[in-house]
Amino acid sequence: MSQLSRRGLRVRLVCTVAGFLLLVAGTLWGQDDDFPFGPFRMYSTAPDPNGAAVDTRVEGIDVTGRTVIITEANSGIRRAEIEGQRQQYVAVPSRLSQIADAYGERTPQEPALREVRIVIRWHGVRNSRPTGTYRDEVVAVWTRP
Amino acid sequence: MTTDPVRHPRIVQWLVEPVPKGRVAAFRTLVYLFVAADLVIFTPWVRAHADTPGDLYQPLLIGRLLALPTPGPLLVHTVFWLLLVLAVAAASGRAPRLLGWPVFLLYFEWMIIAMSYGKVDHDRFGLLVALAVLPVAGRARHGDRELSEAAGWALRVTQLAVIATYFLAAFAKLRFGGLDWPTSSVLAQAIIRRGTALADLIGAVPGLLIVSQFGILAFELLSPLVFVVPQRWRAAVVGFFYLFHLATFATITISFMPHLVAMASFLPLEKVRRPGSDRVPKGPDTPDPVPGSLASSP
Repeated sequence: MSQLSRRGLRVRLVCTVAGFLLLVAGTLWGQDDDFPFGPFRMYSTAPDPNGAAVDTRVEGIDVTGRTVIITEANSGIRRAEIEGQRQQYVAVPSRLSQIADAYGERTPQEPALREVRIVIRWHGVRNSRPTGTYRDEVVAVWTRP
Repeated sequence: MTTDPVRHPRIVQWLVEPVPKGRVAAFRTLVYLFVAADLVIFTPWVRAHADTPGDLYQPLLIGRLLALPTPGPLLVHTVFWLLLVLAVAAASGRAPRLLGWPVFLLYFEWMIIAMSYGKVDHDRFGLLVALAVLPVAGRARHGDRELSEAAGWALRVTQLAVIATYFLAAFAKLRFGGLDWPTSSVLAQAIIRRGTALADLIGAVPGLLIVSQFGILAFELLSPLVFVVPQRWRAAVVGFFYLFHLATFATITISFMPHLVAMASFLPLEKVRRPGSDRVPKGPDTPDPVPGSLASSP
């Protein structure tokens, strides 16, 4: 059997304890910013059992008037990334022009976008179950000058 | 590497419990092939950040501390191709340090790029730990039954990282969601956003989502028991973990793929062999359960 040297063992023990402490600290006090030691916070919020559910989408309208859903495939930007920066887009809607640019870079064969908007679909939820009803709200719009 | 037999405290002995080198060889091949597949199949969107406007870059703490450059075409494509070539080479099991360290560093940078645009994923802590420890897991050939403490430690800390992902996720739920989490509409929200037809069926049953939420919390809090259940049940427990993710994928299309790969560190992977490829002389098949008998090892 191959055994670890004393030094090899000691280094491994120190690394194990250090990694463990960083992870526990990240869980208790950290944020996503502390990746990879941040808290494992996927689906960790507790939304109101009778509150509306938010479903965000980003739409573009191209120069021919067609509505295009902006996706990871046609813009290289993930929906969750736009949601993560939603406040910035709402505060400064001109930032949405960057999504139009990213779309243009990724799909040069398609007509350019003249408008980009973030739309929130509020789905009804009652007793922690979807009711099947919804309404749309546009929260940020940029139109090509 | 080989020294006089030493008796460690029990916790240390558990942490470096020797495993057959063939197991770490198989795990190494699996992990490095996954890295290559992850680049081209599972998270291809990372590469798209080559063209993402620099204004949208929100560097993580680690990116700011290390003053990592804003991703652009040169950085992203260089990391992509280097990582792809080195990961495939590392999957051969040759030069574990020389290939393993660059793969770890490049994949880490790849993930920092991936998570620096406003969304951080939580599905790959175990994989990152596996990549960090595989370079020091020692040389290992497929099918080699010789036991190794270095290999044992590498697999053990990967297992710990996998279980920490569950166990600490329960604490994150209590921290961010509070005691209301199990009775909240968190699964209803997930179904609305990314649910499948199966999820819609489940969501229609009164109370079932709430029961599921209690079940998830209980499962996460109890997951460390995998380390204390008898050996013969361990595979069943790990099988249950995989089934949990199968259900998650079938309902809200979240795969947690890197985590699933890291979780293979629990499995006796050395038993997966091509028929007729077993040319290694027979030896002890399982880790030696009797601490005192370490002295009789060569």
